[in-house]
Amino acid sequence: MKQMLTGNTAAAWGARLADVDYIPAFPITPQTEIIETLAQWAAAGEIPARFVTLDSEHSMLTAGGAAAAAGARVFTATSSQGLLYGFELLYTVAGWRVPFVLVNVSRGLASPITLEPDHNDVLAARDSGCLQIHAETCQEVFDSILMAYRIAEDPRVLLPVIVNLDGFSLSFTREPVELPAVAAASIYLGEYAPGHAWIRGERPMAQGVAVLGGAVYSYFRYQMQLAAENALTVHEEAAAAFETMFGRRYGLVDGYRLDDAELVLVMSNSFATKGRAAVDLARSEGVRLGLLRLRLLRPFPREAIRRALAGRRAVAVIDQNLSIGLGGITVGEVAHALYAERDRPPLLSYVGGLGGKEISDQEFRRIVSDLMLAAATGETPPPRLLFTAAEARQMQTLLSIAGKEGAG
Amino acid sequence: MIRVRFHGRGGQGMKTASRIVGTAALLDGFIAQDSPVYGAERRGAPMVASVRIAEAPIFERGVIPAPDLVVVADDTLLDDPAVQPLAGLPPTGGLLMATAHSEEEARRHTGHPGALVARDFLTLALEQVGSAAGVSAALASAACAMLGLSGPAVVAAIGTELEAIGLSPDSIRANLRLAESARAGIQRVELPVRSLAAPRAGSPVVDVAYAPPEVGTPSVTARPNTPLRRTGNWRVFRPVIDPAKCTQCWVCFVRCPEGAIELDAEENPHLDYEVCKGCLICVEECPTGAIAKVREMREWAPSEVTR
Repeated sequence: MKQMLTGNTAAAWGARLADVDYIPAFPITPQTEIIETLAQWAAAGEIPARFVTLDSEHSMLTAGGAAAAAGARVFTATSSQGLLYGFELLYTVAGWRVPFVLVNVSRGLASPITLEPDHNDVLAARDSGCLQIHAETCQEVFDSILMAYRIAEDPRVLLPVIVNLDGFSLSFTREPVELPAVAAASIYLGEYAPGHAWIRGERPMAQGVAVLGGAVYSYFRYQMQLAAENALTVHEEAAAAFETMFGRRYGLVDGYRLDDAELVLVMSNSFATKGRAAVDLARSEGVRLGLLRLRLLRPFPREAIRRALAGRRAVAVIDQNLSIGLGGITVGEVAHALYAERDRPPLLSYVGGLGGKEISDQEFRRIVSDLMLAAATGETPPPRLLFTAAEARQMQTLLSIAGKEGAG
Repeated sequence: MIRVRFHGRGGQGMKTASRIVGTAALLDGFIAQDSPVYGAERRGAPMVASVRIAEAPIFERGVIPAPDLVVVADDTLLDDPAVQPLAGLPPTGGLLMATAHSEEEARRHTGHPGALVARDFLTLALEQVGSAAGVSAALASAACAMLGLSGPAVVAAIGTELEAIGLSPDSIRANLRLAESARAGIQRVELPVRSLAAPRAGSPVVDVAYAPPEVGTPSVTARPNTPLRRTGNWRVFRPVIDPAKCTQCWVCFVRCPEGAIELDAEENPHLDYEVCKGCLICVEECPTGAIAKVREMREWAPSEVTR
């Protein structure tokens, strides 16, 4: 039976039904509801996990990595500035090759400080060795956490997985979510029994050692790259088993009305839902538009993306992130996936939804009209920020209120 | 799809009301989505919650710009330019509001030609559950009646959602009785079902140009800097000082978190109602009981119309 759950509560249920042993925690808006929920369950004895509040995200990730290295199944969660505060440890514990799941609730980074979502926080971690699954719905948040443990703990992978959900538009939004029975989740995941990491008195082990010499370093770092590449196969196996047991199937990428699409929007996370509406609207007006949603960001499913986009007449990537001095982040990665393709479409780049900014019908219409022009001419317009005249007027008002000379 | 937008103040329970409607819709077999927006959490500050109810997957998120039903928890929100609760409501839509004014006055003041239910749900809540927060279950129940959601679903949803926020079984039973009387006589409203949101003309995409740093960096030099958000309209109750009982102890002046209490030349405290958010800490703190808690009742001049 389905029940109304926020993305945050769905994440807490993911940890609960994964039967985690240890939850190191530190609160931050908009993630706090996750650890509040887990803390209540732990205090009431409803979950056997050890719940511990730490003094910072840095300590939280240290504790999580260490517990995973001792053979515990670990869940933790953070957001935005908190993820950055723990940043050093993301790289460190990933190098220990310990699996755990870290939920990130996306929130725009300071400055200026804000609360609503974009993906600069989670994408900053894209080179850390943590795998990344980005969810569109509250159901997918829950499902991805279960899948993430199965992928992370596979001996071919053994890397932490970050499951990303958008602040507010998923974290505080309730949608119908179906939770599996405890026994079914337990069968899907099995036991976490690592053969490479333990704490045993009679058999001591040094973890997190230093190496001197680039060859030694290169060897171990490249092992992480190979492990991440293995995760493409492991994801597909985990997805197939998930479908068999729970009836929902997740691909490396997700498509909506793609089959006969000539023009394609590429989006990720919860704003992809708005993209679906834009596709329906364009289709109702006779435009063959489709949506490709990036779901697995690390490892980057280059081949799946190439297959999905090759032969289209034009493709537009909407990056809900901004690499200052570059522009959108994922458009470059999508371009890489397409570069070797002889029949590659014009690739248009948009930055939109920063700090949770709405992407309106009119903005989608602008993209569709740019796509049609690019398809007709083969020419690619320069990258563009999605920002409307109404928003510009509102900005002028606010600048005047703030006492900015020359504004308004 | 049916889109319902709730307007209230932090603490009035409109998030819970929206969740009651969402859960009731799910129990009646619909797909539902509910989400509140309240910025940085502040008791008394205007907040919005959105509920979408559909038979197919919902491809919308965030605040509903063009609702089919608007629920207003407090008529003082109607004329707040930072709230605009009626924005986007079509003439064919429904309006449900808690107000001490009559339904005729509410219709004239709002100018809303469509289905309208305006009742004193706050007094009903104070009478039946002894708490202003009861307006949550009352409005949720009335909204469900306007939407045609089934009675058993509403009862189950109220039970689920009030239990989730920690209400006692006795309090939940009282709220269920309140919900029953709140929906009495309210008929289902036929709302036009739109699967796709009506494409809105919207605003065109424009270029953003480099601004000189005096403009293009996030700093504030003006004071005060909140002219668009007069916090004086956050109150459900206002504190009123009785000078006869005041001993000039200044406890209220010291404890007011907003600096909304000033001292005059004779060192008597006075409230600045433009700034006072109605937290009522002064009422709690006053050692001589000189500060009364008075319900906010906004007079509507005959010429004053919301839109």
